Amino acid sequence: MGKTISRDSKMKQLTLFNPGTFPVTAFVLPFLLFLCSCTTTEIDEFRQSSTSINNADETIVILGRRQNNNYETEQSFVGCVADVVSRGDNSITVVDEQEFLDAMFPFFEPRTAPMRTGHLEQLMSMDVAAERLDEFGIEYIVWLDGITERSEQSGSISCTIGPGGGGCFGFGTWQDDSNFEAEIWHLDSQSSVGSISTDANGQSYMPAVVIPIPLIARVEANACNGLGNQLKQFINGT
Amino acid sequence: MKMIQLITGKVSQIPKVGKLTAIKYSLASIIVLLTACSAATINIEGTFPAPLVQKLPLTVGVYYDEAFINHSFIEINDNTGDDQYIINSGASQLELFNTMLPAVFEQVVQLDSLESPSGMSDIDAVFVPAIEEFQVGLPQKTRLNVYEIWVKYNMRLAQSNGDYIADWVMTAYGKSPEETFQSVDAGVNDAANVALRDLAASFTLGFSNIPEINEWLRSQNIMQE
Repeated sequence: MGKTISRDSKMKQLTLFNPGTFPVTAFVLPFLLFLCSCTTTEIDEFRQSSTSINNADETIVILGRRQNNNYETEQSFVGCVADVVSRGDNSITVVDEQEFLDAMFPFFEPRTAPMRTGHLEQLMSMDVAAERLDEFGIEYIVWLDGITERSEQSGSISCTIGPGGGGCFGFGTWQDDSNFEAEIWHLDSQSSVGSISTDANGQSYMPAVVIPIPLIARVEANACNGLGNQLKQFINGT
Repeated sequence: MKMIQLITGKVSQIPKVGKLTAIKYSLASIIVLLTACSAATINIEGTFPAPLVQKLPLTVGVYYDEAFINHSFIEINDNTGDDQYIINSGASQLELFNTMLPAVFEQVVQLDSLESPSGMSDIDAVFVPAIEEFQVGLPQKTRLNVYEIWVKYNMRLAQSNGDYIADWVMTAYGKSPEETFQSVDAGVNDAANVALRDLAASFTLGFSNIPEINEWLRSQNIMQE
């Protein structure tokens, strides 16, 4: 009899997510944590010159810096910022990063990419490169440099599996910190017109009651949206 | 319950379906163990853009030896000493050079042999690339969040009559960030493609600046003083 009772109680634990039996606490706890798992984003802009763009025939390209030994700016983040800039009000035509790198090969590879605006002069002195840039209608080159780092990881989650089913129990938390800087170069004047930096951080939580419930702080996504929208305003000169 | 029966040795009480399942699991385990013992083969694949440079007015014969065409690198497992990964990069090396060289030189002719090349009189120079060293950095070994590839090449350029023009070393480096749920194959492939692009970039932009080649190009009136 004792064994039977024990088995029944186990069955109840494994069917916690049936609509009728789902405890209120399972809703309340994630909801409270969701409120806590928010992101703080700080954006700084430094303008050196006025900017404008004619959206009819002028474009920009957003490129990730990949010269650093310890990290490289993720292509997915560059693509995310490009998406934000090319959508919505005052959208700007953005040339796809990989398409640009292939078309301009070998001038924008990690080893050969211009590191300072002075190098643009050398690049533009080569007819083949200048003509190709002109074909794209590039007005501004935006260099993105940065990384998202994870820190302050704590807690533990243990999962078990047996003949009758399985489940997890525990709690994990960590902090993500995104630091990115965009430097904007004006191609015609071969000068830097300004920079925008973003610093976003947020705490994520992973409570596990039978199944893990990830409450992820969208740190990189917020950094991307913040930086993209600011960049769009900056280049439009608004 | 079935597990308890197995542990306590009451095998005879296991129903037929249980026996079949046990056999299936055993076979699966053997397959997994056998797979774990053999080295994984990674074939580097990629396409490369043609470099955007002005062609040199030269007809160059290129010779790829067997070692270059079938280049393969074996990464050893540090713990067991067994082969862990076999990285075949020959096909993509060939793809790269066959894309890069026609963009750098007016005409490129692939030679079957250096001993009795056909039509050598029309050729200004013979180019022979070779891979001297190939190194791989895997995140599981380096504890870095990147896959890395480093390649050392030896390049030789000679005149059609065999006279020496230049012999120089080039290195290529590529890294690719480790991503969640990314396979080792994909990580190594991405890093190798970056390394091959790196080689093409430095070869294309640096070829004329190699002192011996620069001197030879001037002697041929291809470059101005």
